Amino acid sequence: MSARTLTAALAATALALLVAACGSSSSTGGSGASTPVNGGILEAGIPGNPDHLDPALSYTNEGWEILEATNNGLLTFKKAAGGEGSEVVPDIADSMPKVTDGGKTYTFHLRPGVMFGAPINREVKPSDFKFSLERLFRVDSGGVGFFTGIEGAEQYAKTRKGGISGIVADDKNMTLTIHLTEPDGTFEDYMATPFAFAMPTGTPDKDISTLPEWRIATGPYAITDYVPHQKIEIRRNPTFKSWAPDTPDGHLDGIDVKIGVTPEQSVNMIADGSLDWYFESVPPDRLSELKARYPDQVHPFVRNNVTYFVMNERKPPFDKLAVRQAVNYAIDRNALVKIYGGQGTPTENILPPGFGSAYEKHNLYPHDVAKAKQLIQQAGAEGAPVTVWGHNTSPTPAAVQYLAGVLDQIGLKATVKTFDESVYWDTIATQAGDPQIAFDDWNQDYPEGQDFIDVLLNGEHIVNVGNNDQSNTNVPEYNKMIDQAKKMPLGDARNAMWAKLDELFMKNDAGWAPFMNRQWPKYVSPRLHGLVFNGNYFELFPSMYLSK
Amino acid sequence: MTAPQTAADRGGFQTAWRRLRRNPAAILSALVLIAIVLACFPGAPLWVRHACNHGPNDQNIQGFVHEDGHRVPVVANDGTPIGPGWRACYLLGADSNGRDLFVRLLYGGRVSLEVGGLSALLCVFAAAILGITSGYLGGKADSLISRGLDLVWAFPVYLLAVALATVFATGGLHVGPLSLSSSSILLPIFVIAFVFVPYVARPIRGQVISLRNMEFITAAEANGASTLRIMATELAPNLHSTVLVFATLIVANNILTEAALSFLGVGVPILTPSWGNIIEQGYQTIVTAPALTVAPGLAIMLTVVALNILGDALRDATDPHAQVRIKG
Repeated sequence: MSARTLTAALAATALALLVAACGSSSSTGGSGASTPVNGGILEAGIPGNPDHLDPALSYTNEGWEILEATNNGLLTFKKAAGGEGSEVVPDIADSMPKVTDGGKTYTFHLRPGVMFGAPINREVKPSDFKFSLERLFRVDSGGVGFFTGIEGAEQYAKTRKGGISGIVADDKNMTLTIHLTEPDGTFEDYMATPFAFAMPTGTPDKDISTLPEWRIATGPYAITDYVPHQKIEIRRNPTFKSWAPDTPDGHLDGIDVKIGVTPEQSVNMIADGSLDWYFESVPPDRLSELKARYPDQVHPFVRNNVTYFVMNERKPPFDKLAVRQAVNYAIDRNALVKIYGGQGTPTENILPPGFGSAYEKHNLYPHDVAKAKQLIQQAGAEGAPVTVWGHNTSPTPAAVQYLAGVLDQIGLKATVKTFDESVYWDTIATQAGDPQIAFDDWNQDYPEGQDFIDVLLNGEHIVNVGNNDQSNTNVPEYNKMIDQAKKMPLGDARNAMWAKLDELFMKNDAGWAPFMNRQWPKYVSPRLHGLVFNGNYFELFPSMYLSK
Repeated sequence: MTAPQTAADRGGFQTAWRRLRRNPAAILSALVLIAIVLACFPGAPLWVRHACNHGPNDQNIQGFVHEDGHRVPVVANDGTPIGPGWRACYLLGADSNGRDLFVRLLYGGRVSLEVGGLSALLCVFAAAILGITSGYLGGKADSLISRGLDLVWAFPVYLLAVALATVFATGGLHVGPLSLSSSSILLPIFVIAFVFVPYVARPIRGQVISLRNMEFITAAEANGASTLRIMATELAPNLHSTVLVFATLIVANNILTEAALSFLGVGVPILTPSWGNIIEQGYQTIVTAPALTVAPGLAIMLTVVALNILGDALRDATDPHAQVRIKG
């Protein structure tokens, strides 16, 4: 057994153990109806527009839930719940990639006959993947951070000319070869995210969410109509033929998504039978009642999440460590969990508890308002004006109001600004519109510490648009440690690095005030079954079916 | 030559007051309004100081109240806030942030009444200037002002208010030396005043047109009075009954508009309690904490009904033949 094979085997074992520890859950949903039935239109609801219906740009649960059903990449996370759902398996690639050159070269072979739907109606080629990965950099995708390790990617990010030299497409032999600058234990995970989904060469370098001629499906479903603020219509993709168990046909004939349904309305609509499923979780105040009245229709999904307030280290007064630490001391995490209806557990860690040995609970910031006031005085920040940003989907407005009250209490002068959620995430990810302090949350893209620590806190990834490091945290010493950890094989040693970085960031930088690992209870109609909650793509539409 | 007599002229005020006193609904409405104003303005800080010692934005999520020897959490672990009860603190219960609803209702009333009242004053003042100018000068000035008013009138009033408030809520208002941040409470006041100007200016213009050919105006012109003087000292005093009635009715309309804008998240800033804001922040919990929606809703209804009855009674008392109505 070669060193590389041994490393891969150890990594696979560690990953399997890690994902088994993750808290994802599944449910068959509803009552009875254990045999899937084909047909019917799922009536779904969503509070606002999904951020994007463009795989290169979408970076929200809502967008990924839809795109998982309509588009495909070379690899995919297994379409299963729990730990099994974190396993990366081939999708348009006919097998897992051949990894050579000490883990720096990945060679994919594409299966023939996978088709782009109408109006393109042609086979997916390796050059489409090269085009799609390069397009990420041209449209300022939030996912570029995953692919800057490809040879020539950083240069391409600056020039946007000449293509990425490290991606070689051979359409004749149906192979795509990707050369990395350094080995990366999680590169296959990146390739399973929607950012690496196939888009046909020629797709314009702009958001194609509302351009039906460019919303080209490869999966079992296609987005046939999208009217922002009104509806999304999803129907079967007539050109699709299932090629693997993890790319199933799907049972539903389609999904009608009503846009503008508030969480409270969703409960009433599901109860009266006019809605089957809602993208968001149950409103906190309705959970107890719904659990009691409809126990078979409430499903407690747990995902690897951290919910936090992010402080911009480039903007006063949060450019001072003492102020950031003061906020961490000042917030009462148990009170914030109550605002979320008790649907979560308090935390001050960056990583969620489902990350196995990478999670080591620390207790650096016990609730201490007096200490927080003292730190604000020491920093000379008393009376500093602060605007707290948040989106308008309940209960976030209550959480940002809570924070504003706390900031006032410790000597700052706070106001609140709320945005529609459909524009909020893009807005806070741009340097031009960067807030001083904002509500934020993060759900795993893939089940590994790197997805939180590297993606969100490595200063080397700071960009002007689509910035995931929203605190603008940039500690060169920690960046080096992150880069070092990324090269390590998956396992306890690597996890120990993430755990150490978690504590170091919170103790010595404190650009975040994490407060909760959130749970997402869902309330669905009694006719909906086949609910599978995948920790990466969230709920899987192709698994759902309706009882007659 | 003297100006035409109306019931509200010198001596006419006494007649109007006599008529008003004979209207029990008007008296009751006036008493209700006085009670609401007293409760919200001097009453709110007095209640905070002597009854419960916490302000409208004081959060107490982890706090408890004592009832029948038990410690009851202000906000339960599942996020449900305490409901109404006979206690000094949390008389009407709390919201999900552990804030005292009754205190917020009193302070929110201040804001709603201030926004409604100030925007009504601004609206009626602007409408009076435009109506008098347009009606008296006629010609090009009348055409220009009337078409401008028509332009505003052409938009559904709430649609226009929401559109303007949304624009200002994003970037604030910056016109010449006037600069208001997006969190300024003056923004909803300006927006509400602006959208209702045509509804008041047009009837005033109509009344001025009927007055401008009367003998007392002709006499003033013959005596060499300037245009400005005629508008200010001859026409304006003859419009006071109309303006008074409009002001009363428009306050009610403006309180409703403030509530609507705040409910849609583009009215009064989120951290400032107003009746509309309280409803907006409470309607998501209407099943488990209905008081958060019902209490401010009742306060708005009571105030608006009282203002409308009083406005109608004032109109009947000052000028029984008038056709003054607000059509929003």
